[in-house]
This record gives sequence, C-alpha cells and structure tokens, in this order.
Amino acid sequence: MKKNLFVLSSIASLLFISCSSDDDSLELTTCEDGDCDPVETTIDNPDSYVFTRDNESTVSFDGQTTRLKMGSEILSALTDVTLTSDQILSMYAHEEGANDFEEIELNASDKSVKSKTAASADFFSTNATDQTLIRADFDGFITAQVNEVFPNWEVAAAEGTAGQIADGSSTRYINAQGLEYNQAFNKGLIGALTLDQIVNNYLSTAVLDEGDNRADNDANVVAEGKTYTNMEHKWDEAYGYVYGLNADAANPNDDLGADSFLNKYVGRVEGDDDFAGIADEIFQAFKLGRAAIVAKQYDVRDAQAEIIREKLSEVIGIRAVYYLQQGKNSLDQETPDYGGAFHDLSEGYGFVYSLQFTRKTNSTDPYFTKEEVDAFLVDIMDDGENGLWNVEAATLDAISTDISGRFSFTLEQAAE
Amino acid sequence: MKKIIGALCIMTLIWACSSESATDDEVIIPDDQEEVSFERSAMLINWADNIIIPSYEAFSGDLDALLNSFNTFKVDTNEGNLTAFRSAWINAYTSWQRVEMFEIGPAESVGFQLNMNIYPTNTENIDEFIVSGSYDLSLSSNRSSKGFPALDYLLNGLGEDDTSILAFYNGDNKDALFTFTEDVLLDMKSLTDTVLSDWTEGYRDTFVANDGASSTASVDRMVNDYIFYYEKYLRAGKMGIPLGVFSGAPLPENVEAYYEGTISNELFLEGLNAVQDFFNGKHFNSETEGESLASYLDALNSVKDGEDLSSLINAQFNTARDLVSDLAAFREEIENNNTPTAMFLAYDEVQKAVPMLKVDMVSAMSISIDFVDADGD
Repeated sequence: MKKNLFVLSSIASLLFISCSSDDDSLELTTCEDGDCDPVETTIDNPDSYVFTRDNESTVSFDGQTTRLKMGSEILSALTDVTLTSDQILSMYAHEEGANDFEEIELNASDKSVKSKTAASADFFSTNATDQTLIRADFDGFITAQVNEVFPNWEVAAAEGTAGQIADGSSTRYINAQGLEYNQAFNKGLIGALTLDQIVNNYLSTAVLDEGDNRADNDANVVAEGKTYTNMEHKWDEAYGYVYGLNADAANPNDDLGADSFLNKYVGRVEGDDDFAGIADEIFQAFKLGRAAIVAKQYDVRDAQAEIIREKLSEVIGIRAVYYLQQGKNSLDQETPDYGGAFHDLSEGYGFVYSLQFTRKTNSTDPYFTKEEVDAFLVDIMDDGENGLWNVEAATLDAISTDISGRFSFTLEQAAE
Repeated sequence: MKKIIGALCIMTLIWACSSESATDDEVIIPDDQEEVSFERSAMLINWADNIIIPSYEAFSGDLDALLNSFNTFKVDTNEGNLTAFRSAWINAYTSWQRVEMFEIGPAESVGFQLNMNIYPTNTENIDEFIVSGSYDLSLSSNRSSKGFPALDYLLNGLGEDDTSILAFYNGDNKDALFTFTEDVLLDMKSLTDTVLSDWTEGYRDTFVANDGASSTASVDRMVNDYIFYYEKYLRAGKMGIPLGVFSGAPLPENVEAYYEGTISNELFLEGLNAVQDFFNGKHFNSETEGESLASYLDALNSVKDGEDLSSLINAQFNTARDLVSDLAAFREEIENNNTPTAMFLAYDEVQKAVPMLKVDMVSAMSISIDFVDADGD
C-alpha cells in the first residue's frame, strides 16, 4: 500500500513537471522495479521539433502533408464550375494513379482524404455506422454544391434561391438556404480529418502502444527500413496533421496559416488576445511529448497528449462560437449584411460539425456527441422555411452558450 | 458640488502633469462633464443637409454630364468627343471622391462603394462581356467589371493612344462596345439615383432623428464609417496597396485610374479634402462651417500633449496633403522609382492620422470602433 502511494505521488509529480516546465531538459525521478532507489532519467527537450538517430532525422509525416494538399485542391475544386460532382468525389476518394489532382505527385499517392475521414481508432474502429454517415455528409456537400449551387453561379441568391451574394468585396456562393457547402466541407473536415486523426487516433495509447510499439521503442527497434520507431512515427503523424504544410516544420509557429485547416485556426485563436499563447502551448506539448518518447517516459508523453487534446478541441469550440456570434452581429443591424452573415454562419456550421470529433481530457468522450451536433445543425437551419435567411439571434445565442458552457472559455472571450 | 469639480480639475491637472512621462498618448478629458454642451443632433443636421445631400446632388449632376458626353460621343465618334467624354469622366470621378465615404443607410444598402469603384478592374471579364454581349451587371461577382474603373479601361486602356482607342469605337465590334459602355453608365446612374432619392425621401429624417449615443446611433455609425473609409479606402486602397505596404512588393496596376495614369494623386487629394472638410463640418462648396467632429472635440475640450486634438488632426491632414501634393502621379512614382521613398514618406503621414481618429477622437467621444480587420477568407 505504501508503495502504491509512492508510485501515485510520483506520477502526480511527473504530470506537474510536464505541465509547468519549459526547461530544455527535465530531471525526473522514478521508482523502478519496486526498488525505490531514485533513478535519474533525463528528457532531452529540444528548442525546435528536431529529433535524430545516428545523425539522421527521425521525423516523418509525408502522408499528412499529402492529405492536406489534397484537401486544399478539393477546396479549390468546390468553386470550379467546370467540374462535375464525379470528378470532385474522385478527388475526395482518390485512388492511386487516378488523374485527380493538378499536383502530379498527389495522383501517384495511394492516400486519400476520404479514407481518413471519421477514421480514428478510438471513435470509429467499432463505429462503422457513424463513419459511413459522416462520409456521406461530405459526399453530400460535394454533390449538392455541384447540383444546386453550380447551376446558379451567375444568379443572384435570394431567400429560397441558390446563387451568389456579396460579402464585402468578396462574392459568396450559397444554396437556397444560405449555406456555403464549400465552407461546411472545409470546416467540417478540420474535425473529421485533422482533429479526429490527431486526438482520437495518433495520440491515443491504442495507436501509440499498438502491438510491440512500446517494447520496440524501449529497445530502440526502428521500423523496417526507417530511422524512426513506430511509436515516434505515430506521434509525428499527429504532428503532421497540424504542421504538415508549414515552411519550417521544426518551427511551425513562424507561419501559422500555412493551410486552410487546423493550422490556420490555431493561428486565428492565437491572434485573439484572450487566447494568446495557445499556439506555443500546443507546439510545446507536441515537442515535449515526442522528446518523452525518445526518453521512454510514457507518462510524460500521455500528459502532453492530454494537453494537445484539450487545446485543439478548444480551438474548434472557440471558432464555432466566434462564427455563430459574428454571423448574428452581421444580421443584427439596420442594414443586415446577409452575405457576411451567411459566410460566417457557414463556417460556424462546419466548426459545429467538427465538435463531434473533439476529445475531453482524460476521457474517451467528445465534448459533444454526434447526436448533439446533429441537433445543433438542425436548429441552425430550421427557424424558418429558408434556413439561414430566417435564423434567429436567440437560436445562435443558445447554441453558443451551450458550446462555451462545456469548455473553459466564456462566450464573450470567443465572440470577439 | 462646485468644490468637488474644482478638486477634480486640480486632480486631473496633477495627474496630467505626472502622467506625461509615463505615456504620451493619453488623451486628457476633464471630468467636469457638466460644462460640455454639444448637440449631436445639430451635427447630424449639418452633415445631412449641408454636406452629404449636396455632395450627392453635385455628384449626380456630374454623372448626368458624363452620360451626355457619352451620348454625344456615340452619335459622333471622333477624337474631340472622346476627349470631352474623358474629361467628363475625370470630373465625375473627382466628384465621386466627395461621396465615397458616406457608406451608410441607402449607400450601404446598395453597396455603393464596391459597385462603383473596385479596382483594378477585371479587363478579362470586360473583354469577354463585349464579345459575348451576355452579362448581368447587378451580380456581386461583376462588381469588378463596372463602375469608374471599367470606364477607365474603356476610355484609356483599349489602345495606346486616342487613334487606336477610336479605332475600337469605329471597329467591327462598335455596337457591342457602345452598348456595354452605356450599360456601365446606366448602372452607375441607377445606383446613384437610388441612393440620392432614398436620402431625400426619408432617410435624411431617420438619420437626423437617431441622435443618441449608442453603437446604433447615427453619430457612432457615421464616425465608424468615416474612419473605415479613411483607413481602408483612402489610406490603403488609394495609396498603401499599390505602394506595396501590405504585400511587400509594389502593385502599380492597383492604382486608382490606372489606365489614365496621371490623376490618381488628384483623386486621392480630393478624397483627403473631403475627409478634412467633413471633419470640420464645412458646407459643400462653401467656406461656412457648422457643427462637426472638430467642434465636438473642442466642446469636449480634448487635449493631447497640451494641444487641442482637433488642431492636431487638422495639422496632420495638412502635413499629409503637403507631401502628397509634391508627388508625381502615383503610377509614375511607383513604376519609375525602385523604392518610391517620397510616396512612402507621404503615406506615413497619411497613416499618422489613423490613430488620432481611431483611438484619440473616438475615446474622447465615447464611440466604440465596430470594425476589425477582415477575417481574410
């Protein structure tokens, strides 16, 4: 009993150290083999995300970079009226060798965005039902964009009529209910692809410790033909979904906004004074967690995974509330700015969609279940006959309040 | 009560003296609110009746003159009439600079600024529209293919010189070209008629009656629109963006009236004059001044670094004007100088008025800024 207590307090101090320290290197005391002589173990935490073995880099996330680039081309395709829905669906469900993308290397890839949509080990390995429904939503955004919005590209949108609408100097293309499908697709994919893969897959012990990963990592056994252990690589794959397109992936916070997915919105939340510092917290947790894998300090690793889960989930929650409130404000003025409001609300719609892929800390649950998210999405669209054209401030406030109530930020902090 | 106010004043003075070293940017507003008597409604009436509506009326007249000169050119397509058409365009474009900032009420409803003056203009679209004869100028996506910048292209950009431009208006496609040019002009006229008649037939009274102090009151909104115009349209649009302040590299094709090439600084200066005249409540086309942002600041006794804020703002406008007046045409400045230093220096003086308006003035008036930098997507 005494021993157990000691182990517990030792873990507690580990967690404490990992959360508060920003030193380059950590001195940790652990208790091994029941023999409680303190053993000194060091985590070598570098300044930037650079890890090597025998002078060769062990960091690799090509597959994530590839999918982010595919995602970016799909977003462009969603506003290219010369394309058919089959062509865009093929881009989304790319098969090796198919001539789907402008960037030729992408065509040669055997990876696709769709195969990693709602595909995390923790949430979807035994939930093919929701996985199928979610993928059908994304297919649906594509086909509806082509079938409903493309034909009305040169038509002015009105209540009940798809078409174009001014948003400041920009022009937005919306469906008959005011929704921009391309925004729903883009912001929804931030959750269904990037966030889900990071927080519910690669940072999960089910993936990090899968098979012999832990024993191999303990023994420095690298994956066949590679410089990295499997566990190191899994962690890097999580990293790649946030930072896979940054110019200097070792110091990614220098150019946040390198993609239109999670990277961009980590940058946006960082730009809000209420949350300044969050980008560095996320980066530091990724870096320390990776260093902890090298040092075989799995408690430290998992503590960092929890920090990343909390902060990235918060990014989704903050942006959902932000866009719903911005949309509300654009409608609530002497001359309602419908185009600006619909753009914000469409982004908000996508971020609300993404809430089902968030992950509460030290829990197996998302902040909002799929059922709750689906109900929000219905609420946003059903105040009247014509969706966003009729949405009421009270509806947007109620959803915003529900969302911020479950996170540690306030509606006011997120709204500006 | 008097004693308390006296004590407050003394305290304010002490605080003012002692704070100087700490921060130079504090605006000192004496606490004795009772002595401030400023009627916001009088300012609104001055704005509406002596500045905004007369400016719209003058602009509308210049637009009619532009249409007339077009019609003359259409009937008799020669060089003299092309020149006259062009100078009527310059006249109306100049007059536009006096109304562009009033993006409130009727103008906001129709999106007047962006329907009249998005540049650079989309010449690819325009060329295609003329050939196909198929276009809908009311569409949001076509705002960059019409208005003054489209006319700039149609009047100055079709060829190297007047002879080659005239060749287009006498060429195979002349009918389509005239039709498109006329449609652009009629679109501008229809928007302008709507804005002006909405002002005179109802909105003027709504505007003047909404004389409170809240984020939806006319003064608060007009001040926001005014500062937004100064920062985004005058400072950034007419100078900063073509200069490359935001992109790191100069973008000469983003100069206003790019194809004409010589009037961009004059258009800017007219815009700056309009901004300053509005600040001082100067009646349209007159030396008379009425209640204004300047007189409001004076009534509030706003002082910065020991000087009246209104004088400081006017001085800054004057400095900016002096430097811009010394410049060549913007396109020339940008294209002929590796680093257009003189234009950068002028730009910096234009910029210096932004915090004076956006921070000092609005805090003195207890007006909150309701715009932030756009999201960018």
